[in-house]
Amino acid sequence: MNGKVKERYNMPVTILLICGLATIIFPLYMTIVIAFKQPSEMTNSIAGILSLPKTWSFSNFAEAMRVTDFWNSLRNSLLITGVTVVLSVVLHSMVGYAIGRNKAKSKWYNLAYLYIVSGMFVPFAILMMPLVKQTAQWGIANIVGVIICYVVFYMPMNLMLYAGYLVNIPVALEEAARVDGASTWTTYWKIIFPIMKPMHATVAVITALSVWNDVMTPLVIMSGSGMNTLPLAQMSFQTQFGTNYNLAFASYLLALLPLLIFYIVCQKQILNGVVNGAVK
Amino acid sequence: MKHANDRKRTFMLMTIPVVALFFAFNTLPLIKGVIYSFTNFRGYGSYDWVGLRNYIDLFQDGRVGKSYLFTLKMAVAATIVTNVISLILALGLNSKIRFKSTLRGMYFVPNILGALVVGYIFNYFFTYIIPAIFHTTSILASSTWAWVGIVIVCAWQAIAMNTIIYISGLSTVPEDVYEAGSIDGATGWEKFRSLTFPLIIPFFSINMVLSGKNFLMVFDQIMALTKGGPAQSTESISFLIYNNGMAGGQFGFQSANAVLFFVIIVAFSVAQLQFTSSKEEQL
Amino acid sequence: MKKREKMLSLFLACTVPASMLLSGCGASKSDSGKIEIEMVQYKQEAVDVFRQLEEEFNRTHDDIHLTIDSPNDATTIMKTRFIREDYPDLLGIGGDINYSYFIDSGILADVSDYQGLAGINPGYVDILEGLEFVPTPGIYGVPYVANAAGILYNREMFRQHGWQIPTTWEELMTLCDSIKSEGVLPFYFGFKDTWTCLAPWNSLAVDLAPADVCQQVNAGKTVFADEYREVAEKIQKLVEYGEDGPFAYGYNDACTAFANGESAMFAIGSYAVPQIKSVNPDMDIDSFVTPGSSDPNGNTLNSGVDLQFCVTSACMDSGKKEAAYEVLDFLLADENVQMYLDDQNAVPCKSGDFTLAPNLDGMKQYIEEGKMADYQDHYYPSEMAVDAQIQTFLIEKDLDAFLAKFDTDWQRYNRDIIQMVADYNKQNGVQ
Repeated sequence: MNGKVKERYNMPVTILLICGLATIIFPLYMTIVIAFKQPSEMTNSIAGILSLPKTWSFSNFAEAMRVTDFWNSLRNSLLITGVTVVLSVVLHSMVGYAIGRNKAKSKWYNLAYLYIVSGMFVPFAILMMPLVKQTAQWGIANIVGVIICYVVFYMPMNLMLYAGYLVNIPVALEEAARVDGASTWTTYWKIIFPIMKPMHATVAVITALSVWNDVMTPLVIMSGSGMNTLPLAQMSFQTQFGTNYNLAFASYLLALLPLLIFYIVCQKQILNGVVNGAVK
Repeated sequence: MKHANDRKRTFMLMTIPVVALFFAFNTLPLIKGVIYSFTNFRGYGSYDWVGLRNYIDLFQDGRVGKSYLFTLKMAVAATIVTNVISLILALGLNSKIRFKSTLRGMYFVPNILGALVVGYIFNYFFTYIIPAIFHTTSILASSTWAWVGIVIVCAWQAIAMNTIIYISGLSTVPEDVYEAGSIDGATGWEKFRSLTFPLIIPFFSINMVLSGKNFLMVFDQIMALTKGGPAQSTESISFLIYNNGMAGGQFGFQSANAVLFFVIIVAFSVAQLQFTSSKEEQL
Repeated sequence: MKKREKMLSLFLACTVPASMLLSGCGASKSDSGKIEIEMVQYKQEAVDVFRQLEEEFNRTHDDIHLTIDSPNDATTIMKTRFIREDYPDLLGIGGDINYSYFIDSGILADVSDYQGLAGINPGYVDILEGLEFVPTPGIYGVPYVANAAGILYNREMFRQHGWQIPTTWEELMTLCDSIKSEGVLPFYFGFKDTWTCLAPWNSLAVDLAPADVCQQVNAGKTVFADEYREVAEKIQKLVEYGEDGPFAYGYNDACTAFANGESAMFAIGSYAVPQIKSVNPDMDIDSFVTPGSSDPNGNTLNSGVDLQFCVTSACMDSGKKEAAYEVLDFLLADENVQMYLDDQNAVPCKSGDFTLAPNLDGMKQYIEEGKMADYQDHYYPSEMAVDAQIQTFLIEKDLDAFLAKFDTDWQRYNRDIIQMVADYNKQNGVQ
């Protein structure tokens, strides 16, 4: 029995990977320790940075929640991120399928592919001013405008991911369904969409992370609407002449929790890819 | 025949609205931005047409030239480091190990942390911890080595996402490929090179483009680590475009810079995409 | 599979209208017949004072409703609102180059008929006047508070060692030597953040270069290579008395180090005091004017308008001038000014008997005599990155290259302004 288990697990790799975790845990440890300390405990030395806080009090967290109006900001952040992720998975996978299946054969689809993917390299700074004006003129200088902008900003990358993933999905699967009389639309939703699950998870994670941490888009598009997202609210820890790192780090840790939960959920989906791979 | 038409129509219905949306919120503002690059627009208020002056200035501006060199150097180094490490990590995390999901979860953490937090943490790390251990000065204070610090931080954070993409790529590789390989007696490096790697080439090219893109547009890490210093040695292109264009009064000039940057990268990546997709077809 | 699809569409059906609804709510505003005055001010750190002032104003006024917004990154917010042509009524901004740009863009209105200006220290009105690229008739801002930069010192430490406040450059050098000889570090700089390089630079420049040096250069009367040589030499000298490798440590590190008694002095402005006190709340800090000149009477306090209130043209056009002025009257009332000073360690722009923070003791005389000049970096275009250029100079130590680059860059980044000045002078026959 014992021997069997040893054969199953690759222990040297496991041990190496556990050792490698030090590079992750060490900075994380610093974040946590700083989040619990008071500004007066921060000295400019190794000891000052690495030592444990004198007391493990949650006062920094309470203060950070007050300053950022945590629950309201969290709700806005969740709403923006959630809607963007859902729209991205639906729209981007659809266009990824249409373009990915045709770009090798059709010049037009290939052109559309290059057109959208090249949008990845447009620096946001150049779009910013015109977008501010445009969203205001179209009456969407609010959360809706922000979401639409995100769906467009992440389209190039997600399209590339979906189109890349499609290469490994055989066309034969669709053809089988077509023989049974299903339309392309149904085939897509019934067969291809579920098969792309690992990629949905990847896209959802990438998009959610970028949206969750983004400051600039809500800052310029929604300014004056009175709504804050978490990263926007967190900017108040850094003023022109002073930064309260302790409060800031406490607040960063708070903002991290929803993402961590989201990732743990998505990770299962990514792991399921193994099963789908076997379908081939 | 009916099916073929249905298929065509469905594909078009799937594509056209999304492309239209993309046009309205990416291309349209980009065109306006390009128009501003021929003005001395400050971002608000009135402005004058200046013709090609901004573009002529671009090629004479030492600071812009330096930022292109720095960005390129940094992006190439970070892309290589990130992809090598994350491929190794993905292979490790995809093999038969204990605590698989915990380890995968832990290695993903750097990506959840925002770039600014990571920047602050590494700031402490480079300024106080490294010099105290190795009795050296902080590399961020050296105009020759500060870029290495930025590469380390960018790579540390980007490795997580690239690993995920490689893992999802590896998960499309069917088990029987390995089994077939084992029978042929292929092991280790040999197995990876001839069996695994060809199957994950699409993911490799996605990762190259993604990380290359992110590093070429590096901004947050620079703001958190060096703010372009020391001695203006770590000013990236995005740093200049944002700081001088948006926060400063050079919107017109920096729009011209953004246009040039965009044209260069698109030319470069179209070439690369064509190259990798022709390779994919060969396989 | 069906189930998931349904769930998805259900989720979409719920979230999209919800988001529309939410955004719809934000736009509507209560309409109670009062005149609505909206102010956006850029000092995020003063958000609590402004919240109190806002409440107090609304409690005492029935006809006007005041909203004060203190957003993060307010300058970007103001600029984006201007792009949308969505103007607040009042702006609280600093006396810096953005103010010059806003005047030039016609966003700000002339407030020279505002009665309250009479009570303002004329020195500060002149400082604002000096920020206009070309002389524009009228006054566009009501100066509220100023900050002062020079050298902060650890009063406790100075008392223990019997060190005296220096009044000339030579005395400062002697002081630094004796501090060093007693095993204490004279200065902490924190030059990793480039903007901190500007603090000693500005306070030396007001002593050693003419106050209107930038205008003189724009008019072609002089070059920086002549005016800034001594400034550059002296800042280089100062760095020798600082921490090892000042380019490794940032502003925050320097504040922490100074607060923990690692250095006797810190060449920065009064604005750093709250950050220092957050590390060491009991510290006794005072400051003195940077003695750049060898003549004790030749030194000038480096002080600029930190916060001023401007009325937008849009507010004037909508006939809300009286209401806007009433808000200004309220903000400038002595007790409200004092409340702001106590909270922010600031210097009042209003003449009168105000209690100043103890960390300004050493500068009091200069403030009272009005012997001060604006930060010269308020004239530097931010995209020229003078701060980074000074840092480069201090690392590479090439004085001539630095000054030459300063002059050529200045011409390039100010091309449009220099042209504007030349046109103006030609039209008005100014020589």
